[in-house]
Amino acid sequence: MSLYAQIVVNGLMLGALYACIAVGFSLVWGVLNVINMLHGSFIVLGGYLAYFAWLHWQVSPFVMLLAVSVGLFLLGFLLQYGLVNRVVSQPVLTTLTLTFGLDMILYNLMNVWFDATPRRISLDLGRLDLNGVIVPNDRLLAMLLALAMTGVLYLVLRSSRIGRAIVAVRMDRDAATLMGIRVGRVYAITFGIGALMAGACGVLMSVVFPITTNITGLLLGKAFVICVIGGLGTVPGALVGGLALGLIESVAGNFLGAQSAILVGSLLMLVLLMTRPTGLIGKRGYQ
Amino acid sequence: MTPKLIRTALLSALLMGATALAQAQSTIRIGAPLALTGGLADEGKKQQVAYDMWLKRVNAAGGINVGGTRRKVELITYDYQSDEKRAQQMAEKLITQDKVEFLTAPFGSGHTKVVAGVAERYGIPVMASAASSESVFDQGYKYLFGTLAPNGGLVDSMIRTFTAQMPTVKKIAILGREDVFPRSMAATMKAHAEKAGLKVVHNEYFPVGALDHSASLSRIKASGAEWIYITGYTKDLILVRKQMADLGTTAPIITMITGPAYREFIDALGPLANNVSSATWWHPSSQYKADDVFGSTKAFYDEFVAREKHDPDYVHASAAAALIALQKAIEKAGSTQGAKVRDALASLDAMTFYGPVKFGPNGMNAGRDLPIIQVQSGKVAVLYPQAVKQADLVAVR
Amino acid sequence: MNANRFRFPARGAHLLFAGGVLLLAAMPFLADNYFVRLATFVCMYGALALSWNFIGGYAGYPSFSTAAFVGLGSYVGGLLQNAGVPMVLAWLGATVFVSLFAALLGGAILRMKGHYFAIGSITLVEVLRMVASLWVDVTGGGDGLNIRILDGGPDFAGRVFLYAMLAVMLCAWATTLAVERSRLGFGLRCISQNEEAADMVGIDTNRYKTAAYTLSAVYCGTVGAIYASWVSYIAPTDAFGILLTLKVPVMAMLGGLGTVYGPLVGATAFVLMEETIWARFLDYHQAILGVVIVLLIFFLPGGLLKIDYRRGLARIRSAAWARAGRATATEVR
Repeated sequence: MSLYAQIVVNGLMLGALYACIAVGFSLVWGVLNVINMLHGSFIVLGGYLAYFAWLHWQVSPFVMLLAVSVGLFLLGFLLQYGLVNRVVSQPVLTTLTLTFGLDMILYNLMNVWFDATPRRISLDLGRLDLNGVIVPNDRLLAMLLALAMTGVLYLVLRSSRIGRAIVAVRMDRDAATLMGIRVGRVYAITFGIGALMAGACGVLMSVVFPITTNITGLLLGKAFVICVIGGLGTVPGALVGGLALGLIESVAGNFLGAQSAILVGSLLMLVLLMTRPTGLIGKRGYQ
Repeated sequence: MTPKLIRTALLSALLMGATALAQAQSTIRIGAPLALTGGLADEGKKQQVAYDMWLKRVNAAGGINVGGTRRKVELITYDYQSDEKRAQQMAEKLITQDKVEFLTAPFGSGHTKVVAGVAERYGIPVMASAASSESVFDQGYKYLFGTLAPNGGLVDSMIRTFTAQMPTVKKIAILGREDVFPRSMAATMKAHAEKAGLKVVHNEYFPVGALDHSASLSRIKASGAEWIYITGYTKDLILVRKQMADLGTTAPIITMITGPAYREFIDALGPLANNVSSATWWHPSSQYKADDVFGSTKAFYDEFVAREKHDPDYVHASAAAALIALQKAIEKAGSTQGAKVRDALASLDAMTFYGPVKFGPNGMNAGRDLPIIQVQSGKVAVLYPQAVKQADLVAVR
Repeated sequence: MNANRFRFPARGAHLLFAGGVLLLAAMPFLADNYFVRLATFVCMYGALALSWNFIGGYAGYPSFSTAAFVGLGSYVGGLLQNAGVPMVLAWLGATVFVSLFAALLGGAILRMKGHYFAIGSITLVEVLRMVASLWVDVTGGGDGLNIRILDGGPDFAGRVFLYAMLAVMLCAWATTLAVERSRLGFGLRCISQNEEAADMVGIDTNRYKTAAYTLSAVYCGTVGAIYASWVSYIAPTDAFGILLTLKVPVMAMLGGLGTVYGPLVGATAFVLMEETIWARFLDYHQAILGVVIVLLIFFLPGGLLKIDYRRGLARIRSAAWARAGRATATEVR
């Protein structure tokens, strides 16, 4: 019985990190209609920055969370304002290729500056033992922080002025323009938020996983799957999708083996795309 | 588009003619496609350092003795970006344009096979220093040689040593990455463990790119294994070891292939790396003395540490040994002709700073007394063979 | 789609193309095997870009399934050859298999639109890669699949595979010509402009889209099978490579979507560009390629073929005259 509980707990902890991976990506996709191929690289960049700060200056990653968030927000904002905004209304292929090209640049630069050796921040925080179910403390902390940041983002979107502007643009861009919202700026802020969440996720992940540039594609792939499962453009969607994927992988991993677990996730995504592309709790998405 | 192509073609023809004229082929040219960028960049750089060390020593001695004349060596390197199509192109470029007479193989198993495919057609010997799986050498190619011994040998000496020192260990759990080398190490262990009378209580492969192993590790914990055996690349092993600690999955013997052989593994894990065991193809504490450019293991080790400020691992040693073997074959054949050197390699039986080199019928180096190691108190200790043994196996606490 | 795009005079284009094909075919006699290999890659990418053009250019559905079809073709071709089927027949067998696969899958995948279709098509690559990795008994799993190397030495092999890839490219080109002038081509262009309107006008959108998707797979399968015989070894990660599936649309975009020669121009330019960039900038070649892609998006949105060369030349000429005119004016003053 405790094995099942362990499976569920593992799934939820993984799922919270997955949600954090996807929420920025989902927002950018939902609001700007842009698939941000840089997302995986942003995550790894955040992780590397946290790692080097920890290695050279003994800065705790939880403090770096703030610095990385600000830094990556600026990076995202500038990228969007300067480059992506010019093509944002063009078809899928154009925007995707643009972000793909930008990603190649970032990826190359990271490989040259940081190189691909796996890096991990080792914080020995011990673990909790709840009746036979083991909960590693660093994962737990990462999960709580991921949930907290997601929650803050949700509140910001609902209550602040800029948040409501973002939601308005997502619902109907032309109407938003007519209401006086400067859509270009909103786009840039949204992209910045996407980059911020990615970077923050990277910092949290560097505590839990070894970070290397080799995993950028993998993380991007996970973001795709989660968006499709949960639904685009909303924070709850990314959360539901992330937790769902985490649970699916954990359960399938236990009963079908590790390789099949990932296959199950991808197949589920294909099926959902064909039958219910808006995802489990998504609303009318972009076509 | 068309004029450009014509121009490039004509230019290349001109260049070829010019190079052919200018070249009396006085230097021996060896081509080295290396992954200097991309996912395998770390490993590619290791090979590069080792090749460079050998090159400097050989040329300092005047070059390789080819039938009485000493000819200097030139190493031509290209970065193939850890990309398979590029690896083939590089091999072809090195052979047809740079006129190399020999090639070294790139780091990845798949890339090695692809480069060997190109070279085989031209009859150019290829020296592989990082491939140890039989499946890399199973295409019947005559021109491919590898200095790493087959995985079976490592597995056998591990089983013998561990069961002798801890006779209560009866159940083994195996978890391997679904990729040429780790898969082979896992499958070989399963086969040999069963033959040795051990019970395999868990046998699983995880996909390339797995981010979480908690499901597998939870089941391994439940299986009650006394020996946990994991194969994968460094980043996989780091993650697995950490998750094992998180989930409380442990056993008296924890083996990771080839984790402890790499400094990066020990650095990244810190105290968690303690008491993890592994087998490797070479260890700096070996005490070989040989008639090669280095002269002894110690000489290689000292020069490496002076240059790179850290210990060499088996990849460095194997890469240097591959070129030493090539050198000896050229000297033995008295010529740099592909077919003759190939035959000399096939019949080579020599001692190097890295250990004995003798290629079997499929081109792989016969394994002998491969070291078994364990991380003890943050440093690597050798458990076997007897000649260089530094410590006994310690149970994981 | 830009209706005012400048159309290169058809006869001139065909002549240029014939010249290019002759050059590629004559490569073994003009230069060494490195260039033969390069020419083979040009033909290969040309065929792939032309194939992608059916679904991505004419129909306007951004597919990322190229690697799925190529990889599938590699495995089927390799398995057939290992089972004793003669090489060329194995290639044909792989083509048929991949075409049927795409036709059957097309119906389901094409129900998605826009971004979702893009994601679904790339997921296909991932799923097939994992199946190849898991089905160890058949595919060898992570170990990969060996295929017998072709006897006959490097020059002979170089020629065989060059001509094979060239043949596939020519078939793809011929098919593109046929589609461009047919009802299918017209229907696909309507679909790409406004699918609902096309549907109302009476175009059977489902059938046309499936036809385009299938066409986009046919030659990919052949290319994959030829590649497997060429390289003699395939493994899941490289056979279903994400980089390939992302590069091919870029090549088609570079040349010009929805045209006959656009993909070919784009593929050739891309391959040559990669060769020169890589040769000169070791550490940063990927970044430079990225910069090139970014510049392409901003300055060449329609591709190389859609630049209005005549107008551009006229503008340059008139600017030069204006400057000369101003100079003489100041001299007079």
